Amino acid sequence: MKKRAPFPHDFVPEPEDAAEQWHELPSRRRFLRLMSASLALAGLSACRKPVEKIMPYVKGLEESVPGLPVFYASTMPHGIHPAGVLVTTFDGRPTKIDGLAVHPAALGGSDIHMQAAVLDLYDPDRSQQPQHAGAGAEWVDFTAAWKKELTQLQSRGGEGLAVLTESFASPTLSRLQQELAVALPGAIRVCWDGIQEESLLEAARAACGQAVYPLAHFARAEVVVCLDADALYGEGEHLRHAHGFAASRALDGNGGSMSRLYVAEPTLTLTGGAADHRLRCEATRVAALASALAAELGRQGLTPFANWPAPHLENAAEERWIAALARDLLAHRGKGLLIAGRRQLAEVHLLLFALNQALGHLGTTLDFMPLAQTALPATADLARLTAKMAAGEITHLVILGGNPAYAAPVDLDFAAALRRVGFSVHLSDRVDETSILTTWHLPAAHFLESWGDCRSVESRLSVIQPMIAPLFASRSAAEVMALLARGEEHHGYDLVRETWKGLLPASGYEKSWRQMLHDGISPLAPASPLQPDLERILAELRQQPAVSSSLDKLEVIFQPSALLDGRYANNAWLQEVPDPVTKIAWDNPARISHELAREAGLANGEMVQLSLNGRSLRIPVWIVPGQAVHSVTLELGYGRTRAGRVGTGVGFDVGVLRSSASPGFAAGATIAPAGGRFPIACAQEYAGMAGRPLVRQAGLEEFRHNPGFARAAVEHPPLKSLWKDHDYKTGYQWGMVIDLNACIGCNACTIACQCENNIPVVGKTQVAKGREMHWIRLDRYFNGTPDDPEMVHQPVACQHCETAPCEQVCPVGATVHDHEGLNVMAYNRCVGTRYCSNNCPYKARRFNFFDYTQKMAELRKMVQNPDVTVRMRGVMEKCTYCLQRLTLAKNKARLEGRRVADGEVRTACQQACPTGAITFGNLLDPESAVSRARASQRSYALLEELNVRPRTCFAARLRNRNPELV
Amino acid sequence: MAQLFKRWSNYVPLILVVVAMLGLATVIGFFSYFGSPRFTDVGYAPQQPVPYSHALHAGDLGMDCRYCHHAIEAAPHANLPPTQTCMNCHEILLPESSRLMPVRESWSTGLPIAWNRIHLLPDYAYFNHSAHLHAGVGCSSCHGLITRMAVVAQAEPLSMGWCLACHRHPESSLRPAGEITSMVWKPDADQARFAAVIMKQNKIAPPQDCSGCHR
Repeated sequence: MKKRAPFPHDFVPEPEDAAEQWHELPSRRRFLRLMSASLALAGLSACRKPVEKIMPYVKGLEESVPGLPVFYASTMPHGIHPAGVLVTTFDGRPTKIDGLAVHPAALGGSDIHMQAAVLDLYDPDRSQQPQHAGAGAEWVDFTAAWKKELTQLQSRGGEGLAVLTESFASPTLSRLQQELAVALPGAIRVCWDGIQEESLLEAARAACGQAVYPLAHFARAEVVVCLDADALYGEGEHLRHAHGFAASRALDGNGGSMSRLYVAEPTLTLTGGAADHRLRCEATRVAALASALAAELGRQGLTPFANWPAPHLENAAEERWIAALARDLLAHRGKGLLIAGRRQLAEVHLLLFALNQALGHLGTTLDFMPLAQTALPATADLARLTAKMAAGEITHLVILGGNPAYAAPVDLDFAAALRRVGFSVHLSDRVDETSILTTWHLPAAHFLESWGDCRSVESRLSVIQPMIAPLFASRSAAEVMALLARGEEHHGYDLVRETWKGLLPASGYEKSWRQMLHDGISPLAPASPLQPDLERILAELRQQPAVSSSLDKLEVIFQPSALLDGRYANNAWLQEVPDPVTKIAWDNPARISHELAREAGLANGEMVQLSLNGRSLRIPVWIVPGQAVHSVTLELGYGRTRAGRVGTGVGFDVGVLRSSASPGFAAGATIAPAGGRFPIACAQEYAGMAGRPLVRQAGLEEFRHNPGFARAAVEHPPLKSLWKDHDYKTGYQWGMVIDLNACIGCNACTIACQCENNIPVVGKTQVAKGREMHWIRLDRYFNGTPDDPEMVHQPVACQHCETAPCEQVCPVGATVHDHEGLNVMAYNRCVGTRYCSNNCPYKARRFNFFDYTQKMAELRKMVQNPDVTVRMRGVMEKCTYCLQRLTLAKNKARLEGRRVADGEVRTACQQACPTGAITFGNLLDPESAVSRARASQRSYALLEELNVRPRTCFAARLRNRNPELV
Repeated sequence: MAQLFKRWSNYVPLILVVVAMLGLATVIGFFSYFGSPRFTDVGYAPQQPVPYSHALHAGDLGMDCRYCHHAIEAAPHANLPPTQTCMNCHEILLPESSRLMPVRESWSTGLPIAWNRIHLLPDYAYFNHSAHLHAGVGCSSCHGLITRMAVVAQAEPLSMGWCLACHRHPESSLRPAGEITSMVWKPDADQARFAAVIMKQNKIAPPQDCSGCHR
């Protein structure tokens, strides 16, 4: 066997790097040398059987069954929006994260970040030990250094010390922060995030007089209005929004009715794609639109808003939209919901709170939940802190998490101010842009390897429990906070237990603690909602001058990318996942409208100079349908200079235009061609369906009149096969139905599949050549006018055709059918002719053009699922319906002497889906969920006229249009 | 002009063809015998770090396989016993034996004993112990008469053809649940009838699809 480098200190290039190296062809001489060497090696290595070692435990583990996964509940912290997770571990090694069904913020669903977080644990670029002044150090060194500083600080009451954290909602962290405040009363505490909902929280505080979070209940809403809010994908609590939204639109669950979603937004988002009515509206004009809605509601009889000053709107279409929306809201009093995005100003949020109250939504679709034990972001505090740092008033600065030198508003010049601090500490998972400026860098522990706790926005408490011992000498934020306050190290477990002694009832503490670790959430009751005082707010808002809705200049809007604020920049899965709207991977071009492109004479990929308030940025542009005319969307998180081997230098740092005064959007920008083009890897360059009914959709009314529209969309002769059919009458016959009415296009399935099935990352050059390896391709189509179309998504993986065209052309029988209807790949038979891929009408097969796995760092390999074969160069691969999960479930059932129950086995995509769009099961069982879904009138087979008889079906999409606006 | 080629040269092409065919048969025969797992793998008996004798423990002392390999009925992988299992007895028995030195070392240092793997399937083949035991395939069907092996050697080729032979006709390998770990069990005259009954009763239908073992 090949000798392995000692784990985990080896640094072999990542596969994406390795793949990139093939960009340049080797010279003839090098080619011959490689060939002769590999021939000689091939001859030698075949002579001997590889020797493998078996290392049994020294002491046996209780409940450990070798080769079977064990699942543990935990929590994934993310600002004030933690989500419960269920982690799959193999022999003590976490390999997959899914949403926890009992946690209110996850409800069993997950997003791309939850799915990809496990890859960060095994990132070979994580820092492995503390650093002092750029040189390696030990934790004892830091403890000793801090002790010395602490004595000095204590003597002056903590004056000169500042602690900068990211926002959090954690009883333990909050308690330790209090402890630090008591020990060093003069110390400054600042909280700031790269992506924050400061204006929303500020508005909510103004409404309730204390820190609260407005929690929306999409499931109870019949009319939802999102103003510049990507509530289903990008905003806080989006998982539960998506879950509730899907529930409110499931025809079966609602007696055949559906909720209606109105969206007004500057840039096309997934929420906009899901909308029944979408209005393009620049972010700057959203305030006017909200005000116009209030005035229209007042005009139509909503008493508190009578005589509300109506701003003038741009055009008649907008006025018609607002009028129809107002009528719909009034017709559904108490069952509507209005929300604005975090980018919007506090006044807009306040106005919507007032509207929600006047329409009777409070207590049903919107609750103000008191926040406790949290740290909430405040840009003003950060500005004050930076000023003090620059003035030399801060002698000691501790930064717990975050990367302010990269992400902080550009006008603060945090990096320059940081250089002036004498003793600075940065806790972070890698040596990043901030770490190189601080005197101390401390490695932060991943949440899968540390103890902690979280509080959801409705105050449900849960614990973060480690799945694995820390891989490196890293500490959690709570451990460092305790070290700061007490001057000595404490283990995270003890710190969390100290906190929970006061939270759980003293009698039976151990039992309830263990039960909570098992369940993943504490039984303690959530907080009750507060009643906001909006009378005063309303009076104040009324006094404000009417906002203008006109916009003659360009505006720039900032929005988080798949990398969020850059924290996931080194996560190759998130870099390579195509953006669901633009389908671009590995880049963040500025998104512009067709109109602007025409006006400025710009084409896709062209470089522009974007100027705002005297600052400028060179960035390529990409034309996106549905973009507001005068909006330019800039995605945060790219252009990192110290992210690691994957993320460094990818994309453009748009933070250079982001100031503390307007972190969400800013008007007054100019755009000018800068000359040159930038290559961009786009995974889907066509926009429409070319007249074929791939995604079938109809209005709700149309569906009621013609329920069979989906199947009638294609005319074809009787489908008779030339082949001798398989007999699919016994055992399990697996099938899948994907409900396009529930799918919001969030990509969670794609990443879940990548994680579950050891799918490699190929890099930007290969994506540009169409060689991405994702087994689930999320097709995105636009229909309607090119400038302002509707967007639909369709996840396409192998359809497991019963008369599969791929099987008929394979010369070596590497892809064949099994008795359960699966189209299976025998990788070891595949010789890589790629005929199958050519013959696949769905283009669902992926080919390994290179060996993407073998050169991976050993650490990176730890994320691989041991139940799935790792494919070699020259081998075709595709969706297997998670064959490993089927085998596991069937075997479990066999051992227990029963059959696999319906719903017992779930594919990775199905488990990840936050809206429950995917149903999977046995088609032979007429009572199974998948059989019922397949029998639904909306179900149809993609390209059924080809008579390949796919096992995966789709359910047509419906839009609940307002008859007034059709 | 005299004939350039003698009369016998008419036979040269024939001889060449015969020689070539013989040569080809030899090469094919050579590789199909010397290259097959039946030659390369059967009998593989590497030196182990501890001279543990199955013949002594499982044979003479009559310990059940599952005393050490306890997870086989539930797990896909057959586990090797932790050092702790050895020490259960050897804390008291032969505590000074030099042959047990690596075991005691492992016990005191906490580092595992690195055994050499004998039964090695390719990484793309997934074998599940629990499924086979549950169906009534005994240990010795694949591992041979372990009770007679002082040093464990591979008894069967474990090649795909060998696996499939049994998946196609499992009748002769199925035994009653109580005899799974027995090394002396032999199919008797009634085996065909017994196998038919148990296969029907337990719905035993060994998969012959690719997906049965490869995923």
